Amino acid sequence: MILFRKLLRTAWSYKAQFISMIIMMTLGIGIFLGFNMEWKTIEYDVGRFFDETNYADYRLYSESGFTKDEFDKIASIDGVDAATRYLSVNLEIKGEGKKSLAVDVSENYTVSTFTLMSGDEYDENGDGIWLSDKFAKLNGVKIGDSLTLEFQGVDAEVRVVGLIKAGEHMICLADSNQVMPDFNTFGFAYISPAKLREVIREKTLNTIADELTVKEQAEAALTDGMLTEATDRAFPQINLISDLGKSELEDAVKEKLGRTLMVVSKDDHTVYKEAMGEATEGKAMGSILPVLFLAIAILTMITTMHRIASKEKTQIGVLKALGFRSGTILLHYSFYGLFIGILGTALGGVLGYFVCKAVMSEGGMMGTYFDMPDWSAATPAFCYPVIAGTVLLLALISFLSVRAQLRGTAADALRPYTPKKMKKSFLEKFSLFGKMNFATKWNLRDLMRHKSRFAMTLVGIVGCMILLVGGLGMRDTMSGFLDLLDTRVSHYATKVNIVENTEREKVDRLITELDGDWESYSGISIDGYTATLDVVHNENGLFSVIDEDNKEIDLRDDGAYVCLRLADRAKIGDYIEFSPNGGNETYRVKVVGYNRSIMTESVTMTDRCADALGIKYSVSAVYTNKDSEEIPSSELISGKQDKQLLMDSFGSFVRIMDSMVLILVVAAVILGIVVLYNLGVMSYVERSRELATLKVLGFRSRKIGQLLISQNVWLTVVGVILGLPAGLGTLYWMLTALAGEYEMKLMLGPLTYSVSILLTFGVSILVGWMVARKNRKIDMVEALKNAE
Amino acid sequence: MSIVQFDNVSKIYTSGDHELHALDHVSFTLDEGKFVVILGPSGAGKSTLLNLLGGLDSPSEGTITVSGADISKLSDNELADYRASTVGFVFQFYNLIPTLTVYENVKLISEISKNALSAKEMIGRVGLLDHLNNFPAELSGGEQQRISIARALCKNPKILLCDEPTGALDSETGVMVLKLLLDMAKNYGKTIVIVTHNQNIAKMADVVIRVKNGKIRSVEEQDNPLSADEVEW
Repeated sequence: MILFRKLLRTAWSYKAQFISMIIMMTLGIGIFLGFNMEWKTIEYDVGRFFDETNYADYRLYSESGFTKDEFDKIASIDGVDAATRYLSVNLEIKGEGKKSLAVDVSENYTVSTFTLMSGDEYDENGDGIWLSDKFAKLNGVKIGDSLTLEFQGVDAEVRVVGLIKAGEHMICLADSNQVMPDFNTFGFAYISPAKLREVIREKTLNTIADELTVKEQAEAALTDGMLTEATDRAFPQINLISDLGKSELEDAVKEKLGRTLMVVSKDDHTVYKEAMGEATEGKAMGSILPVLFLAIAILTMITTMHRIASKEKTQIGVLKALGFRSGTILLHYSFYGLFIGILGTALGGVLGYFVCKAVMSEGGMMGTYFDMPDWSAATPAFCYPVIAGTVLLLALISFLSVRAQLRGTAADALRPYTPKKMKKSFLEKFSLFGKMNFATKWNLRDLMRHKSRFAMTLVGIVGCMILLVGGLGMRDTMSGFLDLLDTRVSHYATKVNIVENTEREKVDRLITELDGDWESYSGISIDGYTATLDVVHNENGLFSVIDEDNKEIDLRDDGAYVCLRLADRAKIGDYIEFSPNGGNETYRVKVVGYNRSIMTESVTMTDRCADALGIKYSVSAVYTNKDSEEIPSSELISGKQDKQLLMDSFGSFVRIMDSMVLILVVAAVILGIVVLYNLGVMSYVERSRELATLKVLGFRSRKIGQLLISQNVWLTVVGVILGLPAGLGTLYWMLTALAGEYEMKLMLGPLTYSVSILLTFGVSILVGWMVARKNRKIDMVEALKNAE
Repeated sequence: MSIVQFDNVSKIYTSGDHELHALDHVSFTLDEGKFVVILGPSGAGKSTLLNLLGGLDSPSEGTITVSGADISKLSDNELADYRASTVGFVFQFYNLIPTLTVYENVKLISEISKNALSAKEMIGRVGLLDHLNNFPAELSGGEQQRISIARALCKNPKILLCDEPTGALDSETGVMVLKLLLDMAKNYGKTIVIVTHNQNIAKMADVVIRVKNGKIRSVEEQDNPLSADEVEW
């Protein structure tokens, strides 16, 4: 009990060291747990939500739609557990400005369904619409309200009967250009197959009436067969739940239907891919930042415990001389490490939970990205042994530090700790050393004498720089990327998405009307690797293709451009071969350059080049400078996207980025202050006798303070020189690991360099000043009493 | 001519409710160029007296005048300047800077004193020119103390203050260091004040001040002090 009291009092006497070690452990464990909990929670929550909403394992696409007969054949494939004909189409809400919805229909309500948050249960014959609760909330829509949707020229009025969340739209993006969901302008909804049939009936009637000119005659002319045919065409997709492998399924489909279909597994479906991508990014983040913090925490612990044990040597000797067994003394001192470990782990657990929740909660960073009902907090199993191991390691560090002081007899242990004798270092071989002033020599020798302290200080400064350059550089790069998208790539006002397989003549008329440029994108396979073929016609300069240096490319017609991510597949001058998805043709084209693709992994060529190769393609989007409201809806327009709204949707992305940067900057400053202060105090205590001597000799406190700060400044200079490339390297690694889906170029502004360097110096000088201030109160008489 | 004057000086240390009178209304004067020994048992207040005279501490009451200037109410910086210009210290445990060589330890004084003497000359005077580039840890205790004396005199101070300068040395080395200290002080015309509990050193002094329980018991001037060789150690 008395020893326990001694333990507490000794800990208190080293409070600066103890507090800093507890803070480092808290940060280390907290960040380790937080980041690992984050990805585990993504896997757990997302997986549970996908299960609840019967998220499809495969999506089969047919441009001409699926007949009931074809669907039955596919559903009967061995290994297919459930299947549904599926439609997901982007529709504008009439009278609501630029707001639109992805409207889904699942014929078999056991695949690709939703979770009801409030309102009526799903009814396959229902007349209403089940609307995204998040969209409803942000747009003030309530159950019972009516919406008018524009479906390829037909106005369909629907009443909101339920508010929902759906796995298929857990990440609700209008198209592949959008990076972040924006529920203010785009949401999703489900209607029943019966309601779809009603809308298609209306559309078909209009088409017939256009031909017959009188609607009443059209009613009579419309047969069930015509309606069924139109409905079949409306389902371009079959969603499946199946454990089959992709190639197994492709073969089975080919066998059943006698033709190849484009089969997309959930791994390639945007929602699943992005969600799992987030988990993978979390794992990547979880493997570098926490390791940095934990390593610094453990190294700080080793350095500090060694110093404390050295300072406690006489006490250890007294206990030994009094008759305490070595085991008891070792146990007593091991408890310091254990105490720090347990307290640090407890606080780190709390911090980890909050870090995880800051990311994975409805109000957290992922709350703007994922739309799902339940947010939990899951911990990967391996975290428990790692944490237990860390706590035991800390106890072991204390144990070994004290064991070193316990060696020999009680009399040996009673002798005070003697620091290492000073020897000439290699630096002194240089003649320049002799010419240095007293302060520089003193500091250099001190660093050579206390190498571990020196190394730890450098690690702290380099760590601080890495976090600052990484955090601020990430923001610069992302902002630069968005700026690039806004000013160099997109020069249009509105992007008009075209319904698949629309007759070219109709599209050409629209292009002329809109005075637009256009683009066609379709899936291709390059030696089995899935990519996108991007056929462009940008003579009006409404969008641009850019090169590695972000400069606009004046596209050549005699070959294709390969994006940077595919650059290792073909050199300039080489030929590449590719086949369209679902087709048997193979095309061979010369690579004439590399381009920076903003979103997709793509092969880009002009329409003239594609025509010369005989590639069949249909226009996917038309770009125009007309405002979206000026462009009337028509049967060939599947949706309109306002560039400004798209750029605004990046705003929330930038806000998430800002909060991450803030966390990194705060972590950098805490790391810097804690590590440097701890080591600074240690350095001060170790040198207190020398400092007192200088004071006795007549050195003013200010001059001694400058001496202490100058060591910090020089270490910071070295730390910054090492930290800058380390930070850039880490940033590059983070960009590759976290944003590999984009071809980003590191773009760091002068402000980032200045702020990183100045903040690191600021932290270093602040801590140096805090430590140097102690020097004013140094007790010269006390410090000089005992022999060294 | 007096160089030091203590006038009714007290030093009180407070610890909780308890007050310790380390020095209790002490008054005395010291003449320039004299060798003074302050003698007393442990806890008598002799080190406190030396610390006040050396500007390491300030008195609770009374005034201390050194070369006509009152040092009892100086600021931290003024005290630092006083230590840099007026007094040189020699400690029981030498207090050399372990990370500086012998030469650098003495040369260090030129950083704070405009009147510093040549470091090499002073090291030559204490007979350690061969060890210029050695670190203190590579020297014996006696050698370290000789460097400490060289450093103290390098400042060219008016008064040399020594706190048990032979306390950590064997008697033979102690005598040698003592002789060197006195010779150097005499050659450079310094007032020297040694604090000790060693009665034998007192036999060599011009003036012996005996201290007990924070008070001056006696101030004794010796007309015929013994030389170090004449004292039985």
